[in-house]
Amino acid sequence: MDRSATSPSALTGVARGNGDAVFATIVRCAAVLILLGLGGMVAVMAWGARGAFATFGPAFIVDKAWNPVTQHFGAAAPVFGTLVTALLAIVLAVPLAFGIAVWLTEIASARIAGVIGTLIQLLAAVPSIIFGMWGFAVLVPFMAHYVEPFASHTLGRVPGIGPLFRGAPYGTGFLTGGMILAVMITPFISAVMRDVFLSMPAVLKESAYGLGMTRWEVVRRIILPCSRTSVVGGIMLGLGRALGETMAITFVIGNANHIGWSLFSPGNTIASLIALEFPESAMGSLKFSSLMAAGFLLMLISLGTLVCSRLLLRTRAAGR
Amino acid sequence: MTVAEKQPVPAAISVRNLDFYYGANHALKNISIDFPQGQVTGMIGPSGCGKSTLLRVLNRMYDLYPGQRATGEVIFDGCNILGPKVNLNVLRARVGMVFQKPTPFPMSIYDNIAFGVRLHERLDRAAMDARVEDVLRRVALWPEVRDRLHDSASALSGGQQQRLCIARTIATRPEVVLLDEPTSALDPVSTARIEELLDELKTDFTIAIVTHNLQQAARCADQVAFFYMGEVVEVDSADRMFTAPREKRTQDYITGRFG
Repeated sequence: MDRSATSPSALTGVARGNGDAVFATIVRCAAVLILLGLGGMVAVMAWGARGAFATFGPAFIVDKAWNPVTQHFGAAAPVFGTLVTALLAIVLAVPLAFGIAVWLTEIASARIAGVIGTLIQLLAAVPSIIFGMWGFAVLVPFMAHYVEPFASHTLGRVPGIGPLFRGAPYGTGFLTGGMILAVMITPFISAVMRDVFLSMPAVLKESAYGLGMTRWEVVRRIILPCSRTSVVGGIMLGLGRALGETMAITFVIGNANHIGWSLFSPGNTIASLIALEFPESAMGSLKFSSLMAAGFLLMLISLGTLVCSRLLLRTRAAGR
Repeated sequence: MTVAEKQPVPAAISVRNLDFYYGANHALKNISIDFPQGQVTGMIGPSGCGKSTLLRVLNRMYDLYPGQRATGEVIFDGCNILGPKVNLNVLRARVGMVFQKPTPFPMSIYDNIAFGVRLHERLDRAAMDARVEDVLRRVALWPEVRDRLHDSASALSGGQQQRLCIARTIATRPEVVLLDEPTSALDPVSTARIEELLDELKTDFTIAIVTHNLQQAARCADQVAFFYMGEVVEVDSADRMFTAPREKRTQDYITGRFG
């Protein structure tokens, strides 16, 4: 290196070329590209959807019709199906994931926890089409022959929640869709919960055990209150994935434009509606535009969920 | 010497031929030591010599971690607590522990104390209030927190949190209190307060304290044990240990030649 570069007089000079500035520009471009991509996608969806919103107005969101013959389209049924299946998935997956995470962090021996932890990660890596085929070939007949008839004879007679479990046992429908989604998002939620539980200071847990608390009391009174927001953030991540899942649920949802109380009845989600109808709609047609509008709604719902989860995770990071 | 003076104080906990392993690592080697009732036993020695490990055996905290095991005998209330039939929740309530760093629970100051008590006793509201006030007075925290008992405990200073943790531990009325370097994260004023506290507490509790601070051991402890490389080198009264140690290794350590 030039001796003058290290002398005090050279402090303000450029000692080694402007590589650093070039590097900074390149990485900044990469970051901006992501922003442009996201913004562009929102813009394209909104632009494509303008025909539908211009024709049907805001009522598009609450209109139950989807009739290509009369050119009358509304997104209410797929929006309903999307929300119902995603919520069902959360209701089923959260307790399961919580149990897995507690077992992995508090009870299982390190070696077994490692093996099971890896297997759960692998479950997350199974392509969704495989879940779809499995759901159609195994889960749907199982639901139709055993679970749904049994549930309608038992839960279907309970006042209050009864209507949820009545109806013809097709096998396909909201409940089956929610179950497939639950299996798919459980690995995500349990992985987040496990990491959160592991990040708890060991000494805090020890002092809780040191007072004579049982495992359940430590989890319920110490670990959960300390990790509440992160756990909720993890659940929201799972919810985001459940909302957008397409292939698996298309196989088992029944693909009927339907809104109703029965969880057994076939329905539709935004993603599966688009997957099925998009190839058959002419570019620029009203149906095409309506599908774009439905996609736009899905994007808003997913982004909203993601933003919520990020906010929750950030409050925790700042709070501690 | 009178007969009364010669009679040794009965041991609250007796450790006999204890070996402890972290997996393959032999951390405690054939240890035998008594913790006399109503006295403070100070445990000193260089880092990694096994003193904290011994504390974690006394309330079986090591049980939380697979791969750690102990052999030998630890007699507490006539029972070998290393045995398989010991109810750990009861043991840990009777042998309380305070850690190096304060560990307030994510709840109010009041509930930090009441929660542990509720695990083992059913008290009505008034009795619980009295218990909370009593232990907070004993750790000299009451005047500072009496007006904000229902505020979050995490708002307290480090020294206050540590005193709260001691209050929480003694609130369940244990017979033995284990302290693992309880003042190493505290400023000198808070440290002095906790040392005074130990002196008062030993009227009701048997105390075992691990410390790196030899002056602290000399000030607080009745009996001092010097640990080195997983062995108990010497156990003696604090006076004799710091003025006339029998072992050369003890001498070297307390004069600062290693450690």
